[in-house]
Amino acid sequence: MSPVNSNNGRRAVARALWLLGACATVTGCARGGETSGALASSAPLDSRIGYVRMDELVKVHPLYSQLARLDEDMQALQLKSVGSEIALSGADLAKEEKALQKELDAAAARTKAALVGKEQEYTRREQAAIDAALGAGAGVTGPGGAQIAGSISAQGQAQAQAVTQIANRNLNAYRKELVDQDRRAERALQQALAESAERSYRAEADQVQKAESDYALQLASADAGPRLSLRTKLSNLALDDASRADVKSQLDAIDRKESDALGAMKNRDTDKLVALQKSLHDKMIAQLNVQVAQIRKRTIGKLNERTADTQHALIGQIGRVGGGPGGAPVAGGVSPEMKAKLLALHQKFQHDFNDDASKTVAQFQKTRADLMRRFAQISGVDVDSQAAANKQMSALQKQRGDLYNEMVEQIGREVKVIAEQRGINVVVSDVVAPAGGVDLTADAEKDIESLHE
Amino acid sequence: MRDLQRRLIAATAAFLLGGALLGPAALAADVTDIGFVDQAALSNTPSFTDANRQLAAFKAGLDRDFARRMRGLHDQNTQARIAQEFQNKLAQRQRDLFGPLFERARVAIASVASSKNLSVVVDKRIVIFGGQDVTSSVIDLLNGPGDPIPPVNTPPPSSVGFVDQTQIDAIPKLKSANDDFQKFQADQQQQAQAKMKSAKSDADRQQILKDYQSALAGKQKQEIQPLVDQTRSVISDVAKKKGLLLVIDRSNLIYGGTDITSDVTSQFK
Repeated sequence: MSPVNSNNGRRAVARALWLLGACATVTGCARGGETSGALASSAPLDSRIGYVRMDELVKVHPLYSQLARLDEDMQALQLKSVGSEIALSGADLAKEEKALQKELDAAAARTKAALVGKEQEYTRREQAAIDAALGAGAGVTGPGGAQIAGSISAQGQAQAQAVTQIANRNLNAYRKELVDQDRRAERALQQALAESAERSYRAEADQVQKAESDYALQLASADAGPRLSLRTKLSNLALDDASRADVKSQLDAIDRKESDALGAMKNRDTDKLVALQKSLHDKMIAQLNVQVAQIRKRTIGKLNERTADTQHALIGQIGRVGGGPGGAPVAGGVSPEMKAKLLALHQKFQHDFNDDASKTVAQFQKTRADLMRRFAQISGVDVDSQAAANKQMSALQKQRGDLYNEMVEQIGREVKVIAEQRGINVVVSDVVAPAGGVDLTADAEKDIESLHE
Repeated sequence: MRDLQRRLIAATAAFLLGGALLGPAALAADVTDIGFVDQAALSNTPSFTDANRQLAAFKAGLDRDFARRMRGLHDQNTQARIAQEFQNKLAQRQRDLFGPLFERARVAIASVASSKNLSVVVDKRIVIFGGQDVTSSVIDLLNGPGDPIPPVNTPPPSSVGFVDQTQIDAIPKLKSANDDFQKFQADQQQQAQAKMKSAKSDADRQQILKDYQSALAGKQKQEIQPLVDQTRSVISDVAKKKGLLLVIDRSNLIYGGTDITSDVTSQFK
């Protein structure tokens, strides 16, 4: 091989390599291109795979306004759900509940102490009245009375006081037990009623939400034809400005009409739910008051019964003590007249005590009702509203998901037609970054805009 | 001799030229080597359904225990601790139940992909047209007797690249911008909620919502969009250098593909 030949040969190889490099560059450049139909002819490999930017196609879809409205509704709900109606949650709510519970406990304790104090006061006064009656009986009835009064020895008085103290202690223990029972029963009742009200509210809210969702879809479906037709007109480049403005205003009118109709329905539903919430709350409070009053009445009845029993026992015992071992065994050791007088005294004090105690209990019930109302405001309303908001959000999300899927399916059908026409084998969406392949987004946009003529 | 040399040169040139033209084809293989799987259909197979049922039963029991533990608790820290404890239990059970199933499904998909010479298998959701649907083959393999056998070969080079978006999001520059935006969003939301509280009419509320959206959009355009564009450009450049046609997110990839995450993240250092 001569050097010349050898050189020629090397030059020829170099030319071949240059050609190869040039070809590689051409194909490389072609691969680097993102779009254009020209690419299909110059770069067949790239032209066999395509992609679309789905988020952009969704925005030109005729139902996009519906989708955007749902997004706005969800955003508004998200802002509202922790706004006007639901001011408290989590730690704040727990703090408020704790404070209210403390107030309720304090009111109950005050009432209990007042009742105990009154009971003791009335017992003391009754005892004093009995003592006075027995003493006065001695003064007015001559020797018989004096004999009775004289028979009440100092020891007998001390025994009577001891008996009274024991009886009072037992009575107080019984009263405490009753009050505790009442409180437990009232709490259970309150919880049961609140849960029942919450269930009723949720059921109604779910129905309302479903009706709204159905109505929104119904409106969207009913206007889909005219809307798409108008959008198609808009895509006509030959349309003059006046006609374009007219078509746009018609589109806006459709949007407004739907929005107004849905808004009106939502307003009605909101009013309905607010009214329902108030009604349920009022009903709950009324039921609670009635049943609490019944519980209280039963308790007071039991208490009165026990008090009367105690008083009778006391009178009997005091009589026996006063009668002494040598006294006449006439009904507890006192004369029938004196016994009748003592019973009258007891009944009077019992009546006065009941009146006074009823006033105290009524006062407590009023305080309790106020506290319950406040409790319902911070917890009941919060729970109901939060639950309703969550339900509404779920319904909106589902509605949005369904609509989005429907739109994507429709877009997919259009893209498929384009891909087949252009001989593209595979089309994907959700591409992070294109490096080659055919961008079908622009073509798909045109087709989607003129979808439903 | 000269003729022989010319023929040799011509043959070399023809071979090299042919190789140059076929080279990308070999890399991109055939676009029909892209497969896809309907993961929703896989989740309806008996083994997954059964696991789901077991998990639901376990969760129902956990919910009851959770409600019992939370009753009467107002302390947020305690509540959070207990909630975390229950979430961990649920996650562990989920791992125990689904871990082996996912692994079996992964092997089945790899096996089917290998037998069909697929270089990449993606989620059905991102395929609008074309590609090979291997869902039924995978399901048959999963429902068949015994465990699927893993393929001997690794996936062939693919013209489809992928990035792990979570790793990219963790790049300090991007993470910082994202954190700032999240904070801005939280602040704006708080302000909007406070305004909503005192809003008197629907018009007021609409305006508050518009202002909120506008503030977020402005911030997004100013702070986030430039970084998004930059990232996309970097990914695109890396992909071009590697001769890839498309880059998808890892979450949409099931098998094969060319991972360019580290190449992309290194561009930001």
